[in-house]
Amino acid sequence: MDERFVLVGARTPLPPPVKARKWYEGRPVVSMAVLAGIVLGCLFCGAFVSGEPGYMDLLHSSEAPSKEFWFGTDTMGRDIFAMIWYGGRVSLLIGALSTGISTALAVLFGTVSGLAPRWLDDLLMRLTEIFLSIPSLLLIIFLQAILGKANVWSLSLVIGVTGWTSIAKVVRSEVLRLRNSEYVMASRCMGGGFFHILRKHLAPNFFSSIMFMVVMNVRAAIAAESTLSFMGIGLPLEVISWGSMLSLSEKALLSGAWWIILIPGVFLVVTMLCVTNIGGWLRGEGEQRGNNL
Amino acid sequence: MDDILLDVQGVSHCFRLGKNTVLRALDGVSFQLRRGEIFGLVGESGSGKSTMARCIMSILRPTAGAIRYLGVNICDPGQFRAHKELLQTSRQLIFQDSASSLDPRMTVADIIAEPMAIHRARPPRGSLRNEAAFQLKCVGLDQGCLDRRPGELSGGQRQRVAIARALSMGPELLVADEPIASLDVSIQAQIINLFRHLQEEHGFTFLFIAHDLAVVRYLCSRVGVLYQGKLVEVGPAKEVFADPRHPYTRALLSAIPIPDPRRERERVPQSFDPAQFCREGRLREVSPGHWVLEKEGES
Repeated sequence: MDERFVLVGARTPLPPPVKARKWYEGRPVVSMAVLAGIVLGCLFCGAFVSGEPGYMDLLHSSEAPSKEFWFGTDTMGRDIFAMIWYGGRVSLLIGALSTGISTALAVLFGTVSGLAPRWLDDLLMRLTEIFLSIPSLLLIIFLQAILGKANVWSLSLVIGVTGWTSIAKVVRSEVLRLRNSEYVMASRCMGGGFFHILRKHLAPNFFSSIMFMVVMNVRAAIAAESTLSFMGIGLPLEVISWGSMLSLSEKALLSGAWWIILIPGVFLVVTMLCVTNIGGWLRGEGEQRGNNL
Repeated sequence: MDDILLDVQGVSHCFRLGKNTVLRALDGVSFQLRRGEIFGLVGESGSGKSTMARCIMSILRPTAGAIRYLGVNICDPGQFRAHKELLQTSRQLIFQDSASSLDPRMTVADIIAEPMAIHRARPPRGSLRNEAAFQLKCVGLDQGCLDRRPGELSGGQRQRVAIARALSMGPELLVADEPIASLDVSIQAQIINLFRHLQEEHGFTFLFIAHDLAVVRYLCSRVGVLYQGKLVEVGPAKEVFADPRHPYTRALLSAIPIPDPRRERERVPQSFDPAQFCREGRLREVSPGHWVLEKEGES
């Protein structure tokens, strides 16, 4: 009897249970942690760094890393460990501030262009392209020359004012897509003005697609600042930033003091790497959330 | 007459499709809406119904003609600006597709309160949220929906939210552009009954655009029939449905399915040949309030 009957349906093996995604899966945890460490370290460096970063200890100039000076001292006898954290403040501030300026400009410009009639849109976009075609470093140098001697604020302004074009183009194309949607039309029928529509309907909907570019802008701004300082046209030597620390490097190369170059460089590269990593993750997230199908 | 809320006079609208081609979406359409009535606008797809709604809501500006709302010519930019506040609060539009007419990133409470937030109206029930909850109750949804987003609601619920948003400012004129076309039949019936009930309660004037004739017959007191941008027949719903005069209206009405299968089998669908359609001519009153497009000189 057992041979003639076949049990059907019973004991079909269940598919193995799908493991719930852990909170850290698919997230750049290491990058986030390292970046958080650097940012917090810069913000609260007063708590663990003793001594002035600008203090020149002429007895201990160009000393290799030791117990007393963890990261060594530079040619003027300043403690690199202290300079890294205090300088990071300036570098990160410039990154954040100029990104804020570029993003605000880009959102405003892109939205106006996207909502404007065809001819104005064309005009604004051609202007953007002309702007985009000039090398931004050249533009930064010109603007900085006009503004006079560089300080943190003028440098952020200059970097911010030159870095908005690519974000503006993305904002415009998103606005073009969104402006014909019926909820924007409905809002306009109800009397919603430009800023109401921008704040309530457009910005929340294009935010995820520019998030990636905004984060990348932080990286570009930090890099621009260090490039300028390295070339000697950015922050003056007495204002400590990662860039201005690197500007000492050509002298250091000759004397063989590797720590003067390597340590600020490593901090710079690691920070930018983390920012890039997080940016890449945000882009993927934005694309996933983009369609609901 | 002072009970006329909306007066559409000879409105035409042309879309430029290319350099030389122009699409006449509306061609000299005239009709009036009396205060508190439900007016149905029917016609096949592409007959200009949605264009009419958009012209009335000032989304599109007619190429010719005038639309007077409470005596204000809304086609005139100067007059529009002078009465902006009134026009924006007392006319409301309900779109066909509720999925795209509600912002996917806003919560239901924010969506319903949006017109009040724009006009900084003082909510009669304390806060904007309470007001949204009240409107939600009016359209038959419970409070649990307040914090949801449109993507989490069903089609019928979304359309109810859209209706609640349109009603939140207490409009005089409600324009619904095929509000039930994207819903399935059982939900359509619910929404239609909701419209009827709300109209009795609030007494707003209602321009209902549809291609479903049975619904129009059930809901509307007067109907207008659009064909290729021309209004071919206007009249009381009962009369137009019982005694259609224009050949196009006859063809359109003969297409309504009859629930009784025996009579359905006997039904002879009439066809209307577009070549016969004569664009020239004017509306002639065949019986009180019942106008039909006829050729000049024909009686």
